[in-house]
Amino acid sequence: MSAFVILSLFALLSFAIEPLNRLKLFAVIGLMVALFLSYQGCAVILSGFDATPQVSFFEMIVFIVMIAVVLHEQEGINITQLLFIGAASTLLLQSQTLLSFILSFEALSILSMILVAFIQTKEEADGAIKLFIAGAIATALIFMGAGLYALDGHSLLQGIEMPHTPLGHIGLWLIVLALFYKLTIVPMHSWAIDSYANLSPTHTAILSAITKSVAAIALFGIYQDYLVEAGIINLYALIVFALITMTLGNFLALFTQRLTQILAYSSIAQAGYLLLALVAAQSQHASSGILYMAVAYIFMQSSLFLMVGVLGKKPTHLTLKDIQGLHHQDKLTALLMTLQLFSLAGIPLLAGFLGKAVLFYAVVDAGFYIVAFIALLNSALSVGYYAWIIKEIYFEKQTHPMELSITQTSRVAQLILLLGTLYFGIFAYTVFAYA
Amino acid sequence: MIWLIFLPLLIAPLLYLIFGKTPMVKYFTLGYFVFLLLESFALLGTTPPSGYLELGSFLSVEAFDFVLDLRIDYLSAIMLILTSALLVLVTLSSWSQMSASYFALLLFFSGPIFGVFATTNLLWFFIFWELTLVPMYFLVGIWGGERRIYAAVKFFLYTHVASMLILLAFFILYKESGYFDITMIKESMIGSASLVWWLLFIGFAVKMPIFPFHTWLPDAHVQAPAPISVLLAGVLLKMGAYAMIRFAILLLPHQAQNFAIVMVVLGVITLVYAGFMALYETHLKKMIAYSSISHMGLVLIAIATLSFDGLGAALYEMIAHAFIISPLFLIAGILHHKTGSWQMHDMGGLMQKAPYLSAVFVIAGLGALGMPFTMGFIGEFTILISAIKSFGYPLALIALGSIIAASYMIWSYRRVIYGELSALVAQSDFRLGGVEFGALVIFALVIVILGIFPHLIFESINTAFAQFVGGAL
Repeated sequence: MSAFVILSLFALLSFAIEPLNRLKLFAVIGLMVALFLSYQGCAVILSGFDATPQVSFFEMIVFIVMIAVVLHEQEGINITQLLFIGAASTLLLQSQTLLSFILSFEALSILSMILVAFIQTKEEADGAIKLFIAGAIATALIFMGAGLYALDGHSLLQGIEMPHTPLGHIGLWLIVLALFYKLTIVPMHSWAIDSYANLSPTHTAILSAITKSVAAIALFGIYQDYLVEAGIINLYALIVFALITMTLGNFLALFTQRLTQILAYSSIAQAGYLLLALVAAQSQHASSGILYMAVAYIFMQSSLFLMVGVLGKKPTHLTLKDIQGLHHQDKLTALLMTLQLFSLAGIPLLAGFLGKAVLFYAVVDAGFYIVAFIALLNSALSVGYYAWIIKEIYFEKQTHPMELSITQTSRVAQLILLLGTLYFGIFAYTVFAYA
Repeated sequence: MIWLIFLPLLIAPLLYLIFGKTPMVKYFTLGYFVFLLLESFALLGTTPPSGYLELGSFLSVEAFDFVLDLRIDYLSAIMLILTSALLVLVTLSSWSQMSASYFALLLFFSGPIFGVFATTNLLWFFIFWELTLVPMYFLVGIWGGERRIYAAVKFFLYTHVASMLILLAFFILYKESGYFDITMIKESMIGSASLVWWLLFIGFAVKMPIFPFHTWLPDAHVQAPAPISVLLAGVLLKMGAYAMIRFAILLLPHQAQNFAIVMVVLGVITLVYAGFMALYETHLKKMIAYSSISHMGLVLIAIATLSFDGLGAALYEMIAHAFIISPLFLIAGILHHKTGSWQMHDMGGLMQKAPYLSAVFVIAGLGALGMPFTMGFIGEFTILISAIKSFGYPLALIALGSIIAASYMIWSYRRVIYGELSALVAQSDFRLGGVEFGALVIFALVIVILGIFPHLIFESINTAFAQFVGGAL
């Protein structure tokens, strides 16, 4: 029995369950059972899948965040979708061979397309179509890459081997580029700005926080050995991608007024940081670095998108002006938002700081001082817009009150996510024990 | 000790969430800070003259040498006393403030600042160092002057960028030595020690601040409410100087020796440049802010001597500076509050309207220009002697700093305290609450008493650097 089986089962059964509260309870139970199974280290009993302690740990984190999303969610269909995505995430995280990796990645990709297919507004259609096209291109690239790699004379039923000819290298890189679509690495990021900004914030929380960090961890797991052996030129290419991604994301966020768009750019910048783990693949701290960063990222990013979702009638239209003086209206929401934003900015005693610190140290450890320095400067630059949002919340007067639709369960959801951000900001040994 | 750091971090958000405007929080904060002051004295009493007082290790992550080691030596203990004394005085000076959030932020600030002085683990030091920015950002941004938002964001960003240099330096130290703990790093060979020294020096120079990294300070000081200016000048700048001594000097003495000349030159430039800027300013609070920078130049010169005398003088001057600049900021704040103007030429004749307030201003000003029988004299004189001892007679030049200080201070007396009674001062009411005035009197008393009896603190200061002369580096 594994988390995958349980979640698939619960997801299928959940179609029959009504009303919403019962469905929520049912989904939470399913996720709890999955959490317990991951804690026991259970893996999918299929060849090509295995659960290392790192993977099991990250599955647990994903399930905790999913519990929070379920508690927060008001649409039954999204909860069912979420359970399916949870199941696919376990598959992707546990995949050990290239074939299982590609197939589970496709499963996750298709599930995210279905997730956004319940379109209610024109804008959501815009976001959904862009996501679909990006996903389709990624699929094309991934199969082309796998084909070239196979042509080079390797079996897809194993982990990655050193290619014999450039053809194999090109194949492997095509797969990486396909994943860059999911990770929103520049220049494969452009779909994400509109998708993240226009889709319903719950969907974005799932897409930008959960599937992205799962994809990052899986990519690192399967490519680490290859990157250590494949030569420095690959690392230089990754460095270029990572630095451009984080710098562009941070700069564009500075000049944006729409809240969801700022978060979208911030999410792109964070992807740039995550990519640094691949750059530092040869460092012994790289795996703890990406694990820590992903854990921190999944909590803070999902929390913020969910929180934006309950502000105002049209959360995707919110600008910085709309949240001015929010703390006069709702102290707790203001404080929660501030803490999560500070975590993204890398302010200490919050998970975001340690995530970045361990990850950037891995880059220093791998010998790339300048890269680490640019990443640190980027992180400092990002404070510019995070602190600016906080400035709007606290330093400005409220001109007109917002309509908040905060339910008790969404408060609980936010507290769970905050606990994650705080816990991993202080008790680092938990992550290091599994890395 | 661990509770002194983390408890305020836990309580402060609760105070913010539960209370709106109530005097209760203010009493609680004051009580807690008085307790901190007593606790700091107790810590100094138990600290061994050489070595560290071990206060335990927490939250250990061995794979990353990420351990909250709490250790206190004399230097830390003195900084803790200075910090908690200023926190008490800042609370008293803010007595008319009613908002619970304000005091919650002050309380929040006390946690990480204790952490900064009490840990020997570089990563934890950095965590606390950065965390002190957060309450400051809010205190300046919410309760500051008309350009508070610009000042708060600039302060936050500027010092945060500088911190990134420090973090990179710490990472390199860890990579090359395998430790984040300074007591272990001291015994390791560091390959790129010069690079590390430069990164640390620039990072800490921003906080001190040293020319040309000082530009954030006048904005932050002018826009911050007066008690928060005290916290900035008295605690945050001292944090920079403390870190400079602890990490750039005691941890990397050979590099400090190699680059001592850089420190002296920058110190002298800061002293003279900021002095002239103060002379040029007509904005009262800006003048005091530049005076503050100018004095930090002196501290850097003293640090650069790398001698037992010099470091002692630097620490004394740090304490003196905290007590001298603070009442000046407070009085400037009061004058602006009552008259609505910052310009010195709008004032004049304050002595006729508010003689006691003026007296405190005069005493603190005399301290700033280094008048005998004030703390300023002892600080500047010991720095002058140690600088001449280490670098020869050309450094007698720094006496120029005192002359410049005398110029701007005495001129400001002429414009603000004496002179003809201006219309603005005449129509303003300068009556103060007893508690706020009490805080000012305490500042003035400390300036004079420790100026006449410097040995009261010099014994502890000498103990702090006794190992330095013993060559135990």
